[in-house]
Order: sequence, then C-alpha cells, then structure tokens
Amino acid sequence: MNTKRIALVLLGCSMVVVSVAQAQIKHLEMRVEGMT
Amino acid sequence: MKQHLGRQSGVQNVEVSLLDGKVDVTPKEDGQIDPAQLLKATYDSGVTVAEMDMTARGKIVKDSSGRLTLQVEPNRSFAFAPNDLSKGLESLAGTPTTVTLRGQLYKKREGKKKRELSAPLTLLILEVQKKE
Repeated sequence: MNTKRIALVLLGCSMVVVSVAQAQIKHLEMRVEGMT
Repeated sequence: MKQHLGRQSGVQNVEVSLLDGKVDVTPKEDGQIDPAQLLKATYDSGVTVAEMDMTARGKIVKDSSGRLTLQVEPNRSFAFAPNDLSKGLESLAGTPTTVTLRGQLYKKREGKKKRELSAPLTLLILEVQKKE
C-alpha cells in the first residue's frame, strides 16, 4: 500500500518537474537591416 | 554579428542568412536566453533589427496589473499585445495548461532608426501552435 502511494507521489512530482522544464523559448528569429 | 550573438547567455546556435537578412537563434535548453538582451546585442553589433519573432512554450498567467502574460520561466514572462488570439487564451490564465505560441516581440516603427531598448517587449501572438 505504502509502495503504491510513494510511486504515485513520485509520478506526480516528475510530472510537475517535466511541465516546468518544458516551458521555454524554443526559437527566435530576427529580420535585420544593414547587414553586410 | 554571428559571433557576438553566439556569445550571449543562453544561445546555442546562430544562423545568419545574408541573402534575406534573416537571423535564426536556437536557445540552449537551460532557459537563460533573454530576447531583450539579444536585441541590444544585435544593435551593438551595428545592425538594425526590423522584426523579432519568438516561438515559446509556457503557461498563461495574469501579472500584478491584470495583463495576460506567457510565463516561459519562473522569473520571465511576456505580456501579450491584445488581439483576438490573446483574448482566446484568457480562459487558460492560471490553469496548468501549457501553450506553444509563435509571436512577434518587436517590430521597428517606420521612420525610427532605433528603438528605445529600455521599453519592455510585448508579445503579439501570430499563431497558437499547441495547447496541452
């Protein structure tokens, strides 16, 4: 019973960590003038 | 310019296309990239930025003044410039839903040679790519 509860807690924590880690700037693109 | 931008914090790779004046920046996964700093660094290298677009993933949150923002890191968020797409995301504010957006962070105003670099960047949503 305890093992199941611990597994659920760990699963919940890992989902939170993954969710935070995936929030990010993925790409930036600039159009510039005067470049030689 | 490529080398100058490549030295900025959080930058993984910079691709410059001389032909169409396009600069592609791939951020590192550490999330340390700062678009405002990148914009300043580009100006410092003697080039004028006409437009800056960003693709980012994050959560919709309201800031202290009630504006909708995209939070991409715990300490970094971008306020939305109001449009139909930003209105459609209002219901997601404060929820765990993660969205992937493409939007315009900066566009040079006609007649102005240089922007005020101190002004905060706002995100004009061009496309909502994903909601999870």
